[in-house]
Amino acid sequence: MSSEQARMKFYCDNNRCIECYGCSVACAEAHELPVGISRRKVITLYEGIEGKEVSTSIACMHCSDAPCAQVCPVNCFYIREDGIVLHDKEKCIGCGYCLYACPFGAPQFPRDGAFGTKGAMDKCTMCAGGPEETNSEKERHLYGHNRIAEGKVPICAAVCGTNALLVGDAEEISAIYRKRVSSKGQGA
Amino acid sequence: MKKIIFSIITPLILASAAYAADSQIWGEMILSNIKAYGEVSSFSLGPLFVLLQSAYFSKIFLVVVLAVPTVFLLHYLIIGPKVFSHDGDKIYVFSLFQRIIHLIAAVAFLILIPTGLMIIFGKYLGGGSLVLGARYLHGVATLMFIVSVIPMFLFWLIEMLPTLDDIKWVFILGGYLSKEIKEIPAGKFNAGQKMWFWVASLGGVVMIATGAAMYLQDFNYNIAASFGLSQIDFLRASALIHNVLAVLITAFFFTHAYMSLFAIKGAIHSIITGYKENDEVKYLHSSFYKKLKKQGQI
Repeated sequence: MSSEQARMKFYCDNNRCIECYGCSVACAEAHELPVGISRRKVITLYEGIEGKEVSTSIACMHCSDAPCAQVCPVNCFYIREDGIVLHDKEKCIGCGYCLYACPFGAPQFPRDGAFGTKGAMDKCTMCAGGPEETNSEKERHLYGHNRIAEGKVPICAAVCGTNALLVGDAEEISAIYRKRVSSKGQGA
Repeated sequence: MKKIIFSIITPLILASAAYAADSQIWGEMILSNIKAYGEVSSFSLGPLFVLLQSAYFSKIFLVVVLAVPTVFLLHYLIIGPKVFSHDGDKIYVFSLFQRIIHLIAAVAFLILIPTGLMIIFGKYLGGGSLVLGARYLHGVATLMFIVSVIPMFLFWLIEMLPTLDDIKWVFILGGYLSKEIKEIPAGKFNAGQKMWFWVASLGGVVMIATGAAMYLQDFNYNIAASFGLSQIDFLRASALIHNVLAVLITAFFFTHAYMSLFAIKGAIHSIITGYKENDEVKYLHSSFYKKLKKQGQI
């Protein structure tokens, strides 16, 4: 291990992603997300152009300098020691500023308020729940399944058939990717 | 009444229908939204919004909220208010309709400004239902402002057009820096009132539009595209404009309130009863007074 503190990161190896949507579906299922909300998305660039088409899976990237946390007017974000960016839905006022700050379009707003107004923000938790008591009914209801607390890998990476989606300490993820690139002699 | 209710509910239904049909943010549009964040060819509104919202907006608002009342307190203590007799003749200046419309706008502002500040300083209030309530109330008060802004703009428009008096008024700052009571060059409205009028009406309409964009968030009326922006960039621009204009409007609102309540003792009565003190008009709106005299109305 390096001297740097462990920081949990996602990485999607787009040489391996086959646009199967498994991660997105598994996420929605594991966290019982309402219709219209998908915390993880698969996107395809240059669709149909031979040799150029590339797919990748994106969700909250759990940024080190999380811009969402910087702009939140009610400070509802908190960053765990392991780098997972989480937020408190009971503090959130659904203003949407985090969405404007996010480079990945990760924050989403279910229309569950009065008159169909935006409710509290919802985003990927890296399967680490929220500020409520770990594995409580309330945490599960608001933030979904807390797999990290159970010692499990986030569901999206766990179900990825081609091992394209990697999750874990940033150093280890880059070591895996480096190994893949050097053994294939291409990528990156 | 039915029409009003329909006109309020219809956009909400349309908005949720548009949301359900095709998201402008998280659907196929997500690519253009992501690309708009920091691309060289983009306006870089994402990083700009993060910078201003994280480090500057709340500080600027804090300065405005503290400095403007402090300046007025000093003005009150050092120079003092202008006092005109309230026992003399009165001049009828505001019709009942104007007073009612102004009242609606006044109540709207009394809700909009504190709730807006509550959202800006939400972290010090702990967020949650209190600030969420403020955000909802901010939206409800907007409906009141929408009702009042158009008639107010129309019935005062002519008298709010700039005149030569306004330049002279600005040079002497309306005479508010001296205790002496002398004739101040101004028509029915002085240059300060005119500035407030234009900021509140034209600025107000921009506030309504940008606020509505942020409130609805995910809509598709080809508005963002017509500006050549992705949906999120359009929202970022809305938030930036909304905050910058809000600084200006808040400062002007405090000024407007100070003038009517303290700087000119009892001046607020003219918008309640419709009658302004003879001397107040004679000295503070001298050109208007002369015009009325010429027309033989006083």
